[in-house]
Amino acid sequence: MSRKITSFDSQPIMGKIIRIEDECEDTKNFFVEMPEKIEGVKAGQFVMLWIPVVDEYPIGVAGFKDEILELGIAKMGVGTEALFNKQIGERVGIRGFYGKPFKPLENVNHLLLGGGFGMTPLKLLINTLKSRNRGDKIHVFEGARTKNKLMYLDFLQNLHDKGEIKFHVCTDDGSWGYKGFPTVALEEVLQEDSQQSVIYVAGPERMMKVVFEIGKKYQNVKDMQMSLADRYMRCGFGLCSACTVDPTGWRICVDGPVFNKEQLEQITDFGEYIRLATGEKKRI
Amino acid sequence: MSLGTIVGNIKLRNPLILASGVLGSSYSVLQRIYEAGIGAVVTKSVGPVSREGNPNPSVFALKDINGAINSIGLANPGYKHFREEIKILLENNVKTIVSIFGGDVEEFSEVLVGLSDLPITAFELNLSCPNTEKEGMVLGTDPQIVRRIVENLRKKTKSPIWVKLTPNVTDILEIADAAIKGGCDALVAINTLKAMVIDIYSRYPILGFKRGGLSGAPIKPVGIRNIFDLYEQFGDKIPLVGVGGIAKWEDVFEYILAGASAVQIGTALGVAHPENKIRHIKNNIQKFMKNEGIENIANIIGGAHR
Ligand SMILES: Cc1cc2nc3c(=O)[nH]c(=O)nc-3n(C[C@H](O)[C@H](O)[C@H](O)COP(=O)(O)OP(=O)(O)OC[C@H]3O[C@@H](n4cnc5c(N)ncnc54)[C@H](O)[C@@H]3O)c2cc1C
Ligand SMILES: Cc1cc2nc3c(=O)[nH]c(=O)nc-3n(C[C@H](O)[C@H](O)[C@H](O)COP(=O)(O)O)c2cc1C
Ligand code: FES
Repeated sequence: MSRKITSFDSQPIMGKIIRIEDECEDTKNFFVEMPEKIEGVKAGQFVMLWIPVVDEYPIGVAGFKDEILELGIAKMGVGTEALFNKQIGERVGIRGFYGKPFKPLENVNHLLLGGGFGMTPLKLLINTLKSRNRGDKIHVFEGARTKNKLMYLDFLQNLHDKGEIKFHVCTDDGSWGYKGFPTVALEEVLQEDSQQSVIYVAGPERMMKVVFEIGKKYQNVKDMQMSLADRYMRCGFGLCSACTVDPTGWRICVDGPVFNKEQLEQITDFGEYIRLATGEKKRI
Repeated sequence: MSLGTIVGNIKLRNPLILASGVLGSSYSVLQRIYEAGIGAVVTKSVGPVSREGNPNPSVFALKDINGAINSIGLANPGYKHFREEIKILLENNVKTIVSIFGGDVEEFSEVLVGLSDLPITAFELNLSCPNTEKEGMVLGTDPQIVRRIVENLRKKTKSPIWVKLTPNVTDILEIADAAIKGGCDALVAINTLKAMVIDIYSRYPILGFKRGGLSGAPIKPVGIRNIFDLYEQFGDKIPLVGVGGIAKWEDVFEYILAGASAVQIGTALGVAHPENKIRHIKNNIQKFMKNEGIENIANIIGGAHR
């Protein structure tokens, strides 16, 4: 039975899991069918995913088409494990779409860099950029510890082979792509191509901070947009303030999770401190 | 024309105060809201030790009724940690009311004493959280316990003590009377209403704690009634702070006319641009005062009692 959703950004709406794919080690793609038409999503936005009786947590959106939500989920603890145990046909609760998205500029090179579950919003961003089809160059840099940890490897390699993106892949152990960090290839591109560029990053915050410092050295970097998604959330819509960063008092869930270069410059917590569920600050 | 008001001996530049638990977890967000032009801020309630609160989901919106439900359950870093954040607020001249809780007199006392060397604008005793088993409402529904806690704490600080009441009682006046006899300096009413939401597809209560507290627009008439009753009984004895469901500028006047010297706003500030909301409410308050010929907002406190 389908029903009309008046407000998706309210109590969780129950969607049905219609497909589950193994993506890479400890990571699966879940396709969740929403019961009725809901408004579109932008790359970088997230949903709060409710697994009844277990937990609710934020998850970035990898895709949304024909009311089917694509989520890429890495197994972390009890909450994500409970999702991994779900079967096709079972229901999960969704509320959203929350947060500020990436805001791609025009007539620039788009340099997307990610690792781990940070690749999920980047997948949607790639599809958004492709559908704009303005002939801007798109480079994607992905790094992981080892080959089995690389997300969307086939998807990205395929786009690379078709010439739609340039895919630069690396692993810490050299089991796939070059051995080393994605920043190496990023710097090469920035040095070789003087065209104005925007860097979009999603991944572990320490890594993002490193990219941020590198990006600042290059004149041709017009903006950097990074998703601070490694942070504890409760409400997801700006009420509880569990997710605030110092000293600006911005809430990751509504003022972010994507921040631009000028904003990141002001967030002294960036790459340094997170807040735990208790509200205590902890060094990253 | 003046928006200024006084609660006991605390002067406020306007009657709007940020309610506890909303946008109150860090010094930075509290400072942000204060700088947006509000009269004072109340921190998230802090207790003796750090705690994670209840499992998620612990808060979500109820858009159809312009409200929210939460069961956060007093997640907080403990007063020893939070003390550092309070210090920053006070150094930056933010009028800071610190909400505290404890499971008994001793715990309340530990928190208050641990902070009372700081020039805190006021302490607000959270005797009204519905989302815990040992603290909050459990204590705040028993007049004898309320009196004992307030009496004990009153001797231990120079800062004013406000007592925040729960509406989840048969007779709020009895609890208020106990708090006044204990020596508190203002009463704050109301905290959230006991509530629950069940998902009809999975057939489970949605909140991780199952039970929660309702806030936002739907509880406003309950808050107004409580403030009206409290003012009628104790208006000459003690100042009142009205809270519950304020979403529009009109609501502020409604509370003031019922008898509130100041008001607190929570749920309505959980929006993308709380700054705009505060500015909008303040501007419209001024416009209304001009149109109605109200010189001083404090002049109409309790104006509905006639
Ligand atoms: C905006 C945003 C987008 C995200 N997108 C994705 C995504 O696309 N794919 C994905 O796999 N993961 C994503 N995450 C991370 C995901 O929320 C956590 O991995 C998940 O909550 C872990 O839950 P758990 O119960 O399995 O682990 P737990 O054992 O409970 O915790 C493991 C770690 O997960 C994190 N975590 C736990 N609860 C929360 C919470 N309520 N909010 C934030 N972090 C929490 C903490 O860092 C914790 O240390 C995102 C997080 C945010 C903030
Ligand atoms: C998410 C959330 C957290 C809250 N946390 C606290 C708290 O820690 N201490 C407290 O005294 N009240 C807390 N409250 C209650 C509010 O301070 C306020 O009394 C109540 O929400 C009614 O006001 P409102 O309708 O303007 O939100 C909380 C309310 C919400 C919505
Ligand atoms: S998660 Fe509640 S304000 Fe961001």
